[in-house]
Amino acid sequence: MSGHGNHVANSTWMRAVMMAGMILTVGIVGFAVLGVFVAENKHHTWEDEHHHYEDAKDEWSAGVADGTVNGSDHSEPLYIAKEEAHNAEVAAHLSYLTYRVAGVTMLFIAGAYATFIGLGGFLNASKPKADDHHDDHHDEHEHHGSASPIIFAFGIMVFLWGLPDFIVACKALLDDTVTAELGMLGISVSGMLIMVVAVSNWWFEDLPFIGHGEQIATSYPFEGDHIRKVGLWVFIMSEIMVFATFFSSYLRMRTEWCTKWALDDGGFAGCRTTSDLELTASDYLRPGGGKVDGLGESVGDFWTLLPGGINTFALIISSYTIVLALKTAKNAKWESPKGFMGKLMPTRKAAVRNYLIATLILGSLFIVLKLVEWSHLVAEGFTIGTVQGSIFYIATGAHGLHVFLGLVIMLYLVFKADTVGFDEDNAQGIEYFGLYWHFVDLAWVVIFPAFYLY
Amino acid sequence: MSEHAEFMGKDVYFWNFIVLMFFTLFEVGAVFFEGIPKATVWGILIVVGLIKGFGIAAFFMHLKDEHKWFNITFMFPWIFVALMLWGIGLSNPEGVTGLPSWCTPDWSYATER
Repeated sequence: MSGHGNHVANSTWMRAVMMAGMILTVGIVGFAVLGVFVAENKHHTWEDEHHHYEDAKDEWSAGVADGTVNGSDHSEPLYIAKEEAHNAEVAAHLSYLTYRVAGVTMLFIAGAYATFIGLGGFLNASKPKADDHHDDHHDEHEHHGSASPIIFAFGIMVFLWGLPDFIVACKALLDDTVTAELGMLGISVSGMLIMVVAVSNWWFEDLPFIGHGEQIATSYPFEGDHIRKVGLWVFIMSEIMVFATFFSSYLRMRTEWCTKWALDDGGFAGCRTTSDLELTASDYLRPGGGKVDGLGESVGDFWTLLPGGINTFALIISSYTIVLALKTAKNAKWESPKGFMGKLMPTRKAAVRNYLIATLILGSLFIVLKLVEWSHLVAEGFTIGTVQGSIFYIATGAHGLHVFLGLVIMLYLVFKADTVGFDEDNAQGIEYFGLYWHFVDLAWVVIFPAFYLY
Repeated sequence: MSEHAEFMGKDVYFWNFIVLMFFTLFEVGAVFFEGIPKATVWGILIVVGLIKGFGIAAFFMHLKDEHKWFNITFMFPWIFVALMLWGIGLSNPEGVTGLPSWCTPDWSYATER
C-alpha cells in the first residue's frame, strides 16, 4: 500500500540504523549483566550446591554401607540432609538457567530486531533518488498495489525450502559432531534475505503514508470498508483455525493420557497405578502437580510456573497499551497529562511512540520469560521427545512465534511513530496491527489455562 | 456502551482492562493454588475464557461497534472449532458410553453386538 501523502528524506531512514544500534546496545548490556555476570555467580553457587549434594550422598551411602543408617528409612537425618542438598542443587541449577537464558534471549531478540530495523533502514536510505520522488502526478487519493507481500511470500517459500538444513546448521553451531550442509543452508539464508528486502520495501512504501489513498472495498458485504482491515479479519479467521487444530489435538490426546485426574477417578485399562502416570505440562508447572492422592512426589515447581503467570499479565497489559497508543493517535484534542506522566509524554507524537515502546517491551518480556520457562521444563525432564512435551512446545512455540513476528512489525510502528508520527488520519496502521496483537492475546487466553491448569 | 461512553471519568477500554486484569488474577491465582478441584478447573477454562475472550474481542478489537459481517467473519471459524470439539467428544474413550445422549449418536449397535 502506498498512498504517499508526504515525503520522507533518506536521512530519516538512517535513524532506523541508529535505532538498531541502540537496540543492539541494550541487548549486549542485558546479556553481559544477566547472561554473563549474574549467571557466572549463579553457576558458582550451583557448583557449590552440587559438591554439597555429592558430600551428603557419600555420607549417606557410607552410613548405609557400614550399617549405621537404614537405607530404606526416609526419616533418617542423613537421608533428609541428602534430599535437602539435592533440592538445593536443583534450585541453584534452575536459578542459573533463569539468568543465563534470559541474557542469551535478550541478546538474540535484540540482534533480530537490530537486523530487521537496521538492514531495512540501511537499504531504504541507500535507494537512489528516493529524495526526488515528490514530483509526481499522483493525486492524494491515488492508491497503488504493492508487490512487497508477494516478494515476502516468495522469500518464505525459499526459506522453507532450505529449512531442514538450516536447522541442521543451527545444531552444528551447538554440537561439533553435527555437520552442516552448506548448499541448502545457502538457499535458506537467501530466503531470509529476500524476506528482509521485501519487508524493507514494504516499510519504504508505508512510511510516507499519512492517511490519503486508503484502498476501499467496493462490493458487498464489505462495501465502504478499508481493504486492509477486511484482509486482516480474514487472516485472523485463518489464525483461529490454526490454533484450533493445536488445541483440539491437545484435548484429543489429553483425554487418553493416564494423568493424575484419570488416576484420581479410578483410571482405566492400562492406567491403574502411579507407575502408569503420564506427566503433562501442568504437572511440571503447578505446585503439587503430578502427585496422586498423596502418593508419589510432586514434579511441579513455583519458579517454573512464575514466568507463565507474569506473561499472562504482560500480554493483557500490552493489549491495553496498544489501545492507548491508538486512542492517543486518534485524539486531535489530546493534552499532555500533568506531573510525571506529562514528562514522559510531552507531545501526542511522543505519547504514541512511548505507548508502542511499552507494548514492545512487554512483548519482549513475554519471549524472554517463555524461553526461561522452557529451559526449566527441559532441565526437569519435560522434553519435546514425549507426546505431552511435543504438543506443549509446538502449541506454545507457535504462539511465541506469533508474538515475536508481531514484535518485529511493532518495531517498525515505533520507528514510524518516532519519525513521521501517527495521528487521526493515519492511525489505521496501529489499529490493524492492534487487531493482530489482540488476537495473539486471545489465543493465550485459551492456551494458558489449557496447558498450565488442565 | 459506545467507544466514547465514560463511567467514573474513565472510558470503556479502561474498565475492560480492569475486568480483564481481575479475571487474569483469578486465573493465574488458580494455577498457583494446589489441589484445585476438577470442576473449578473446567469452570475457569470455560467461563473465565469466555469472559476474557468477549472482553478482548468485543471492546479491544472493536467488534461490538463493527457491522455484522466483521462479526460473522470472526465467528465463522468457531463453527469448525465446535465441530472439532464434538469430534473429540465422540472419539475419546468415554465417547461411547460416557457422554450425554444429546451429543452422541446411538452407539447401541456397536455396544450390543
